[in-house]
Amino acid sequence: MSPARAEVLEGNAVTGWLYSHRDQILVLLILLAGWHGLSLLLGVYWVGTPWGVAVRLYNGLLSGELIRHSSYTLAEALAGFVIGCIPAAILPFLLRRLPIVTAILDPFMVGGYGSPKLALAPLFILWFGIGIESKIALVAFTVFFIVYFSTLSGIRALDTKLVLMAEVAGASEANVARYIIFPGAVPHIFTGLRIAMPYSIGGAVVAELISANRGLGYLIQLRSMNFDTTGVFVALTAVCLIVFICNLLVNFLERRLLKWRPPSDVTAQKE
Amino acid sequence: MSALLEVRGLAKRFATRAGREQSPWIIQGLSFSVNEGEFLTIIGPSGGGKTTLLNMIAQIDCATDGEIRFQSNVAPVNDMKSLKPGLDCQIGYVTQEDNLLPWRTCLDNVLFPLQVQGKLNDETKARAQSLIRAVGLAGWENHYPHELSGGMRKRTSLIRTLVYDPPVILMDEPFGALDAQTRLQLQDDLMRLWNLGKKTIVFITHDISEAIALGDRTIVLTRQPSAVAGEHAITIPRPRDIRGIMTHPEFIELYNRIRAQVQ
Repeated sequence: MSPARAEVLEGNAVTGWLYSHRDQILVLLILLAGWHGLSLLLGVYWVGTPWGVAVRLYNGLLSGELIRHSSYTLAEALAGFVIGCIPAAILPFLLRRLPIVTAILDPFMVGGYGSPKLALAPLFILWFGIGIESKIALVAFTVFFIVYFSTLSGIRALDTKLVLMAEVAGASEANVARYIIFPGAVPHIFTGLRIAMPYSIGGAVVAELISANRGLGYLIQLRSMNFDTTGVFVALTAVCLIVFICNLLVNFLERRLLKWRPPSDVTAQKE
Repeated sequence: MSALLEVRGLAKRFATRAGREQSPWIIQGLSFSVNEGEFLTIIGPSGGGKTTLLNMIAQIDCATDGEIRFQSNVAPVNDMKSLKPGLDCQIGYVTQEDNLLPWRTCLDNVLFPLQVQGKLNDETKARAQSLIRAVGLAGWENHYPHELSGGMRKRTSLIRTLVYDPPVILMDEPFGALDAQTRLQLQDDLMRLWNLGKKTIVFITHDISEAIALGDRTIVLTRQPSAVAGEHAITIPRPRDIRGIMTHPEFIELYNRIRAQVQ
């Protein structure tokens, strides 16, 4: 495309956005085409058409049904995310001066990290009931270990030369923690949050699948029992959309807080 | 002139790891002194323990034996826990790498020591600004380290130490990784700044020309284990022309003498 034409296209906000995301739109179209092809091949009974899903999604949003279920799931995910992430981001800082305690805790943390969350869901429902508490607990449990390990690696990856420099320049222990170790670990904490975010929504949906009377997971369960595959696809699409929007939020926050970093990922370079 | 900093019979070997042979001596029987207001340069072969020497003087590493005395303070020997890095901000240290904090802008990096020392006020801020201008960083204050060139980063790290005005400044091959042109410019800058305040400087380099051009006196170190191989007073009058000094007759004579000692 000629530079002049590109400039014209980038001039308007909407066409500019379309132009800069043309590769992603292309991939989306290919996926939709594949999906449609599959539903033609296997029949609507097994795989709902993209158009059918879009219509049901639109109607679901209009009637408020989808919004209601999504907001339950989102509330569970958000509460669990906050409850899990905050201690996970603080604990490694407290353990920094206690390497022995960190070492003692390590196998248990690895165990918690590796435990299959799907298998834990029934147990959490036994303990916390079928209400919102069991979902929050499962989400918190899931995200805690992800954020804990990424924060820990951030503290460990810190350049000790920076700490020595600060000490020579007169920094106290508290200064080192505040001005060197914390800002140095922030990118790693963000990496953890970024990975944990979809897990929190996924965790909430999984817990709802096991036992719930509301939420997107419940919706999926209910509709699959009614052989309503298009309905399942609608709920799945809603989950994807929520993750997508939350990811945009994390990106925005990260860009604001980490503006000191050189642009490294592809999307940042494009801007 | 009185000795401000004195090193006597210094020796260093790193701790031996279990199941290995004892690690060799890095430094053994090293003695020299630095006078107040003196610019001392130290030349030595690479891997000769020069950085270790400065680390010990700056008290971020510990001597195995010997004595390091700064005024009346004697650095602890074989006792990492009692080290006082920077000796209460009396010993500044410009390390080989710039060690800038990547999340702070150029200006905030320069202000960092003042901030942690609780000396951030209008007067010290003005001093930081004038240093930034003096090394040609004006207009770059609000840029992050990754947005600065190697030379600019080096300048930032240099004035970060100058800004709090420690009585002694250690410099570990600060210009080693720069291109020849930038290095000359920075040597020029350093000379200008030094002429303003006449700080006591211990400057390590592996470049004989640099050692002669900058120093009042230069010490040549032997191969590992390091000790003093020779000492040369440099009487080339100041202010010196860094770019033209190579043709000075004393320079050539010193260069050849030092060359013969550097192994």
